[in-house]
Amino acid sequence: MAHSDSQPAGVRPVRRVLGIETSCDETAASVIEDGTTIVSSVVSSQIDLHARYGGVVPELAGRAHVELLTPVIDDALTQAGSDRTGVGIDGIAVTCGPGLIGSLLVGVAEAKALSMAWGIPFIGVNHLEAHLFASLLEQPDLGWPLVVLLVSGGHTMLIEVTSPGQYRIMGGTIDDAAGEAFDKVARFIGLGYPGGPAIDRIAIEGDARSYAFPRSLPGDAYDFSFSGLKTSVVNRVRKEPDAATADIAASFQEAVVDVLVSRARQAAADVGARAICLAGGVAANSLLRTRIEEACADDGIGAFLPSRALCTDNAAMVAAAGYWHLARGERSPLDLGANPNLRLVSTA
Amino acid sequence: MGPPDCCRDAVVVVMRLLAIETATDLVGSALLSDVHAADHLSDVHAADHAGVPAVVERSHLGGRAHAELLAPSIEEVCALAGCPLADVDALAVDIGPGLFTGLRVGVGTAKALGQSLGLGIVGVTSLDILAAAAFEAVAAGDRPDRARRVVSVVDARRSEVFAASYEMGAATEDPANTCRDQSEPLTPDALIDWLDELVAEASPILVVGDGAVRYFDLLAPRRGLDLGLAESVATPSPAALARLAARRLAAGAVAQPAGDLVPDYRRPPDAKINWEERAPQRVARPEVDNP
Ligand SMILES: [Zn+2]
Repeated sequence: MAHSDSQPAGVRPVRRVLGIETSCDETAASVIEDGTTIVSSVVSSQIDLHARYGGVVPELAGRAHVELLTPVIDDALTQAGSDRTGVGIDGIAVTCGPGLIGSLLVGVAEAKALSMAWGIPFIGVNHLEAHLFASLLEQPDLGWPLVVLLVSGGHTMLIEVTSPGQYRIMGGTIDDAAGEAFDKVARFIGLGYPGGPAIDRIAIEGDARSYAFPRSLPGDAYDFSFSGLKTSVVNRVRKEPDAATADIAASFQEAVVDVLVSRARQAAADVGARAICLAGGVAANSLLRTRIEEACADDGIGAFLPSRALCTDNAAMVAAAGYWHLARGERSPLDLGANPNLRLVSTA
Repeated sequence: MGPPDCCRDAVVVVMRLLAIETATDLVGSALLSDVHAADHLSDVHAADHAGVPAVVERSHLGGRAHAELLAPSIEEVCALAGCPLADVDALAVDIGPGLFTGLRVGVGTAKALGQSLGLGIVGVTSLDILAAAAFEAVAAGDRPDRARRVVSVVDARRSEVFAASYEMGAATEDPANTCRDQSEPLTPDALIDWLDELVAEASPILVVGDGAVRYFDLLAPRRGLDLGLAESVATPSPAALARLAARRLAAGAVAQPAGDLVPDYRRPPDAKINWEERAPQRVARPEVDNP
């Protein structure tokens, strides 16, 4: 992200930020105040649109964002007591990567148009950084350093955060993301899409000890791998087509959560973290939340679990990250593009 | 630029129209300023000021950098025309067919501007804009005006084109009045067959657009086709869009609400999904056709 440096003298301080999120299959807009108060948060999910394909179809997502973003922004502004002229809004934050290029571009284009029409600054935000800011919205005084376990349909990462803006990626998945594994297994055992909530629900009725699926811990201490686990589930179901779906789901979920928790715990211990923080759509998983809480209690460190609405993609977290950058005087130039492979880097 | 001197004391209407173009490799915007005498002035007086409206244009052959190039070009044309966005009173955008991501950038930008400025939007197809530009070029003497028809051809990639045919018209005519549109993408062979039918009706036919450039070698030898403007009218231009949209508004066209405007993709979305992991014995296979 290229940012022009300092803010000119005399500009009004940034209090209210409009956030815009279109990186994947949620079209979202939100107004937050002073970086931590959510004034409005509107999320229009495209789940129904993609459900029959068992996954996000990029071209469908891009088309849907074009149709949905205008009314979603309208709702977010109205609920915040603003209007089409953006009265009371001091800045705009928009996800500019990583994500689906055809989806990201819609948000970036509309954010720039609003910025020009309203004469207020805008900032491009890294979607991963936005996920990290989701917890700050609910617990503004997190202790540092933190280890964040970011788990979603597109990402599985362990990130050390020494202070806001200072990130170190400790490890990540070498194949599937955790959420992707949930989706693929759910699809295979006939639970539909999205897979995470479906497996979470049915696993409660199953016995997690029914099947001993592998816990893959690749060589690098903080890395993950889920493709072997997925294959193992597929092979088991092929051999045993009448296996109880709930037992399969529970045993699979147990294996994923085991790996996630043990890696996060190790990472936290190694860096002397004051807390483990969950982020991303998979952070809404009940078993993962319970296990992380238990592990942190055992280790005598904090556990920060954002509410489920802030785990999945939303624009409040984008506005929160954008607020932090805007308040430091950072701005994005009008020629900002979208970067589908944008990496998470520390802000100097 | 203010009203002409003789109108200083009269009521004049200034229309400022911002046009956004992203349907092909050419990305940019244009700001058109048109000064009309208000209704109560004599027709003769109004005619003094009728004519070519002033248009400022900034465009780039941008490859795939539509999002990067569009917003700065809008800022530039507003500055050059001395017209802040808040003073714009009409918006127009090329709704396609064309590059999908380009269309999303252009239409998304137009929608957000319409939303924030409280303006409706005139959506114009890329094929109409190319035809209007061809009419203008012929009127300006860039081509002998013996052509009977214009066919706009937009490269649809994947060895297909989008095409529409228009009867040759004056520079101020709206091509849409005589548009015969192929609503589906065509293969080059299907385009040739269609052009042969059209040539049998009336020729020569001016063929314009980046589709004509791409398939130049295929089209140029065909009897009845004139590719003399193919290169110079290869991409819809923001200025041609601005003039056509302004004429439509003047003729009483109603701009669409920002919330309703959508691109004209003319092709169903790809829905390539990997079905390999689906357990066939458990799940009924849904149709894999496009929605
Ligand atoms: Zn996300």
